[in-house]
Amino acid sequence: MIPLAHRLIVPLILSVAVFGALWVWNERVTKELGNPAIISGWFLFGVILFLGAYNVRKKLAAFNVGPARAWLALHIAGGLLAVCIFLFHTGTVWPTGFYEQILATLFWIVTATGFFGVAVILIYPKRLTDAGLEVVFEQIPKEVYNLRERAEAEVVACTEKSGESTLADHYVDTLDWYFRRPRFYFNHLVGGIGAEAWLRSHGDAVRRYLSADETSFLDRLLALAKQKTAIDRQYACQDVMRKWLVAHVPLSVALIGVSVWHLILVYVYAK
Amino acid sequence: MLMARPEIQSIDSGAFPRTLPLDGIVRYDMRVNRYRAGDIVVREGDYGNSAFLVLEGELVIAGSPGIPAEQLGRIQTHREGLLKRVASLWRNSWVPEVRDVDRYGRQGSDHSPRTRRRGAYLQDVPAIMREQETIILKEGTLFGELAALGRVPRSSTIFAERPAVVMEVRWQGLRDIMKFDHAWRRKINDLYRGAALRSYLRQLDILSGVGQEQFSAISQNCLFETYGTFDWSATFRRGRPDEPVIASEGDYPDGLLVIRAGFARVSMRYGKGRRTLTYLGAGDMYGLDELYHAWKDPKAADLRLKYTISALGYVDVIRIPALVLEKHVFPTIREPDDLNAGAAQRNVAEDALMEWALDKRYMNGTQSMVIDMDKCIRCDDCVRACAATHSGNPRFRREGPIFDHWMVANACMHCKDPVCMIGCPTGAIHRSIEGGTVLINDDTCIGCATCANSCPYNNIVMVPIRNRKGVPVIDAAESGQPIQKATKCDLCAGRPGGPACVRACPHDALSRVDFRDFHVTAMD
Repeated sequence: MIPLAHRLIVPLILSVAVFGALWVWNERVTKELGNPAIISGWFLFGVILFLGAYNVRKKLAAFNVGPARAWLALHIAGGLLAVCIFLFHTGTVWPTGFYEQILATLFWIVTATGFFGVAVILIYPKRLTDAGLEVVFEQIPKEVYNLRERAEAEVVACTEKSGESTLADHYVDTLDWYFRRPRFYFNHLVGGIGAEAWLRSHGDAVRRYLSADETSFLDRLLALAKQKTAIDRQYACQDVMRKWLVAHVPLSVALIGVSVWHLILVYVYAK
Repeated sequence: MLMARPEIQSIDSGAFPRTLPLDGIVRYDMRVNRYRAGDIVVREGDYGNSAFLVLEGELVIAGSPGIPAEQLGRIQTHREGLLKRVASLWRNSWVPEVRDVDRYGRQGSDHSPRTRRRGAYLQDVPAIMREQETIILKEGTLFGELAALGRVPRSSTIFAERPAVVMEVRWQGLRDIMKFDHAWRRKINDLYRGAALRSYLRQLDILSGVGQEQFSAISQNCLFETYGTFDWSATFRRGRPDEPVIASEGDYPDGLLVIRAGFARVSMRYGKGRRTLTYLGAGDMYGLDELYHAWKDPKAADLRLKYTISALGYVDVIRIPALVLEKHVFPTIREPDDLNAGAAQRNVAEDALMEWALDKRYMNGTQSMVIDMDKCIRCDDCVRACAATHSGNPRFRREGPIFDHWMVANACMHCKDPVCMIGCPTGAIHRSIEGGTVLINDDTCIGCATCANSCPYNNIVMVPIRNRKGVPVIDAAESGQPIQKATKCDLCAGRPGGPACVRACPHDALSRVDFRDFHVTAMD
């Protein structure tokens, strides 16, 4: 199990080498009074196609096309190379032509989502592990339902045993909201402790009105809420870990399509 | 019938305690099997838990060159061609567990209720008799006891050339008879001594410098002991794992223990509990350090055992008596290392992974799927890759016990001691000769679920199968229930590049590990 930073060393060296080759070639073409933008454009298109091939690789599990870990390292290094070549090719962050602006918009969004993805894969897995509970994403609704059932059973049992409805009323007014569905989505994403603070305050608020028996029910209820917090954290982080690709991949396909049309336009009008 | 047999009559029933009478052992641990021509009694490579005695007729041992694996109901893992892999891109079914059910009828297995002959059997016995070197087992011959007691694979295939009647003794019955009947114990020990002990002992480093005569003396004086139970997985699955103590810290050593099969934990008192120092597998030794120092310096203050050794489920040991070692071995060896040498430099937190792994009995796995949850982004690319290489059906679940940031996923571990392979009636589950991978032959699996029920880790899943139209296949002739097959990870046998799950993980989070190596790596 090699850390990502180590796996990136060779691809980054390769990227530097490719960029160096492009630079040298560009200089030569410039001296020969050629059109260096054609060279950098084809380089950029080639790199973008290579980056897109990573998604194709995922479909080819039955073929021995190299380990995905190597592909990911090449994909990240290739992405950085693409940014460098893009700046080299356009000479600016934001081109002036309308079609070029569409291309640049797509390119920068794909780049931004790519950087976001790298941040996600570096930060969220560890955050999920630290949550102390592992749940398969598809099973989260079932887990939330089960916790709600158990919480409601505790409240009913408390009412039956104590003959008081204090905890039940408090549950209906506040904690029921918490158990209904995943909560504190964005707070969990930024690693906040909003859920814990909310539970503490709502637990403390009612505790003074409860008997010793009822307090034990409240403690059990809060223990269930703690589990729910861990599940909510799983939900928020796993959701983002899946959804960022929904932006990255389709926009990458769109970028390739727009780039092809750009190439056609260049060759048609260059003649 | 069995009580009248001379082999049973020769046993002194008076030596057996009232709580464990001989007729009880005969009744509960023995049975009579009738074989037809071509029936396989034991297959080469199978793991079994019983020995056999020929009662009537003869059986045949297939010697060299051996019966082809296909005829034994095994699958040959051929490298899958490129075209087949390309075709799998669109031929993988969206319907789970689709099979070409017509294929089953074309195999050596026969599911027809008319013949009621299940599993693989030899179809052309005369040809086998012509082509193989064979040995005939006559009436009264005992065989299969080494595999039954030693938890080692059957060394050859034995089949019936003509109808034969054979008594099958479960290992528990065999162990009890050996315990109370000296003649049977001597007979079986002599068989082992003659067949396998010498070659096993020759592999031990400490005996490499011993001369031929001394070596014979050592092998003559070895004792054989078994701790725990063969079916340890049953108590383990119920949450009450057996761990019988073999020797305790503070005892005086009387012999060197060499592990022949299974695993043992070495531990010492630590606070109010016990701290695991290491675990021992086949070929490892216990007590050497203490015995050596007792020999080297008999006046030393404390010659007692420093650590406790206990059986992790089941362990088969060879005890080499101290006197034999002192006479023949110690003069030829260097001072041995202390088992605890490494543990002194470690704190309990560093050993927590090993403690957890042993409690879960993961030391058994040679290809355990371990996922580093600090790297895993829960993308399920591994599951999809597994499904893509198995006709659309994943062969593992990305869930399982987690320790710290290591998850041991529910994937077949291809155990050193494969409990699942014991008792398969057709030999469908077997170890591949090429790589030691535990495989299931879908064609000869009869869906009895013996393997799935035995697996201590719940890594074998029974699935109802469907035909090519997606319709569940029903056993209309007998039970009226859906036909099930056992499925599990096969390490992508036949696919180039190794397991697809490992190759598909973009974050290098998933690996297949032998737990002994993994523990060291994880500590680093």
